[in-house]
Amino acid sequence: MNLTGNNDNLIWRLLRRNISAAQLCGYALSNFVGLAIILTALQFYMEISSIFSDDDTFLSRDYICISPKVSGLGSLTGGNSAIIDSTTIADIRRQDWARSVGTFTSARYNVAASLDMGSRSISTSLFFESVPDDFFDITPPGWTFDPAHPEIPVVLSKDYLTLYNFGFASSHGLPRLSESMIGLVPLRVSISGRGRQEWIPARIVGFSSRLNTIAVPEAFMTWANDNFGEGLPETSRIIVELSRPGDPAIGKYLEEHRLESAGDNRDTSTAAYFLSVLTAVVVGIGAAISLLAFFILMLSINLLLQKNRDKLHNLMSLGYTPAQVAHQYCRMVAVINLAVCTASVVAMLAARTAMHSALASLDLEFFSPWPVIGIGTAVTVAVSLLNFSFIRRRMRQYYY
Amino acid sequence: MNEITLSRVVPDVFRDMIQDGSGLWNSNVTFRRGMSYLVMADSGTGKSSLCGFLYGNRRDYSGDILFDGVDIRRFGIERWSLARTTSLAFLPQEMHLFPELSVYENICIKNRLTGYKSEKEIVRMLERLDVAEKLHQPVSKLSIGQQQRVALIRTLCQPMDFLLLDEPVSHLDAKNNDAVASLITEEATSQGAGIIATSVGYDIALDFNLRLSL
Repeated sequence: MNLTGNNDNLIWRLLRRNISAAQLCGYALSNFVGLAIILTALQFYMEISSIFSDDDTFLSRDYICISPKVSGLGSLTGGNSAIIDSTTIADIRRQDWARSVGTFTSARYNVAASLDMGSRSISTSLFFESVPDDFFDITPPGWTFDPAHPEIPVVLSKDYLTLYNFGFASSHGLPRLSESMIGLVPLRVSISGRGRQEWIPARIVGFSSRLNTIAVPEAFMTWANDNFGEGLPETSRIIVELSRPGDPAIGKYLEEHRLESAGDNRDTSTAAYFLSVLTAVVVGIGAAISLLAFFILMLSINLLLQKNRDKLHNLMSLGYTPAQVAHQYCRMVAVINLAVCTASVVAMLAARTAMHSALASLDLEFFSPWPVIGIGTAVTVAVSLLNFSFIRRRMRQYYY
Repeated sequence: MNEITLSRVVPDVFRDMIQDGSGLWNSNVTFRRGMSYLVMADSGTGKSSLCGFLYGNRRDYSGDILFDGVDIRRFGIERWSLARTTSLAFLPQEMHLFPELSVYENICIKNRLTGYKSEKEIVRMLERLDVAEKLHQPVSKLSIGQQQRVALIRTLCQPMDFLLLDEPVSHLDAKNNDAVASLITEEATSQGAGIIATSVGYDIALDFNLRLSL
C-alpha cells in the first residue's frame, strides 16, 4: 500500500476513461498523411530551389535574349523594325519577371578574321557584339582590352565549336579542337571602317552556352566603334536575367510587344516553373489535410472533456489546479503529436532517399533535410501549443 | 484563516423571497476558527448553496463573503486551489467519490496531493470508521453509508482551518454517527479548525458552539 507518492498514474487511470482510440487514431493517421505530404513537398521544393540557386547546373538562373520579330517586309524595305528602342528597354526593366537587363552592343564596322592552321587558312567575315560582363556565364582570363597593346579576347558560342568539330572539321578533314586547344590557335582580325583598316591579333578565350554570339569586351567595342564605327548606335538585342523563369507573363509580354526570345533554358525553366506551382499545390493539399486533422483532434478533445466534465470538476474540487488536471491530456496530445511528427519525418526521409536514387545519374548536390525537419518540428510544436491552450482553457471553464 | 464572514449574503435564487435578516441569509454572521457551527434548515433552503459559496464552487449570490476580511470574489482559481489543499476542507453531500476507483485509490488521490496523512494514520481512520476491510474494493460496491465514511476520511487528509460538512451523517446509523463525530472532533481539535456542518434534522453527534437556521 502506498498512500503517498506520485499521483499521475492514478489520475490518468481516472481520466483516460471515455478516450476514443478510434478518434485519436483517425487524427493521428490524417495528420500523419498531411504532415508527411507537407514535409516531402517542402523537401522536394528545397532540393529544386538549391538546384535553381546553383549557377553551374542545368536549372541555373535563367537568361533570355530578346529581339524584335523580323518580318520579311521590314527587311526588304530596309526599315528599322529590328531595333529595340530605349522606351521598350525601360519598360522591360520594370517588369516583375526581369531581374536585370543588359543590351547587346553591335559593331558598326566591318570585321573579318583569318585563322591559320598549318598550310591551310580559313578567312571569313565576322561580326562582334558585346554585353555587360555580369551577363556572362563564364569568367574568361584576360577579358580586357588595351589600345596600346591591342589584342582582342573573344568568347564564342559553344554551338559554333560544336558546328566546327562535328560539321565543318569532319567533312573537310580538319582536326577537331577542344576548348583549351582553341585558345592556342592564332587568329587575326581585320577591322575596317571610315576608310581605314587595321589588323589586330585575337584569341579565343572561352565558350559560352548562354550567349549565342561572338562576344568581345565592352572596352574593345567602345574603342572600335569610336575609331571605325559608322552610323548611329542602336540596340537590336537585349539579354534579360529572369527573376521568375518560365513565368507565362514573359511570353505574353513578348507577344504583345512583337518581340521574340531565345535562350538555352526556356524548356527547363518552364518545367521548373510548373514544378514550383505543383509543389505549392501539393503543400497546400497537405496543409488542408493537416488543418482538418487538427480540427478532428480539437473536436475529439472537446468531446472527451465534456464526457469527463464531472470527474474533472471533482478533481479540481479536491484541490487540483486546472493545470495539474490538464497536464494529463496535454501529455497525451504531446505524445501523439510527437509520434506523428516522427513518422512524418521518417516518411519524408524515405521519399527523399527514393528521389535521390531516381536522380543519382544527374550527379546533383542535394539539399540537407534538417531545415525541413525543423519546419516539421515547429509545426508540431505550434499545433501542440494550440492544443494545450485549448485544453487549459476548457479546464478553467469547468472549475466552477 | 481565522474567520469567515457572511455579510448580507442572499443566493440569487432567493433574491425575491428573502427580505428580512432573521436567518443566516441577508444577515451578518461570522464563523471563527476553533468553533463549531450547525446550520439547520429544511431541504431546499440553500444549505448546499452555502457550502458551494464558501468552497468557491458557486458565485451566484449577492452580498459579501469575507475570508479574514478579504472578499472571496477576488480569489482566482489558483488561490482557491491552494485554499482547498491548505485551509478549507469540504465533505459535499454528494461525496464526489470516483466510483471506478477503489477506497484506497479514492483516498490516495487526495492524500498524495496534500501529502498530509501518513499511511498509518489513514489505516487507523479506516479502522475507526469500520471500512478498513473494504480498502481495495471499488467504491461503487460499497453501501452509501460506507461511501460517506470513506469520503469523510478523504476530506480529513489535508491541513485545515475550517471543515465544511454538508449533511455528513445523512446515511449513517447512530453508532457510526458517534464514530464519525469522534473522529471529526479529534481532527478539528488537533488542528484548531472550525467546523461548519449542515443538517436537515438528523444532526451529527457533535457538541456545537452555535446552531443557526437558514
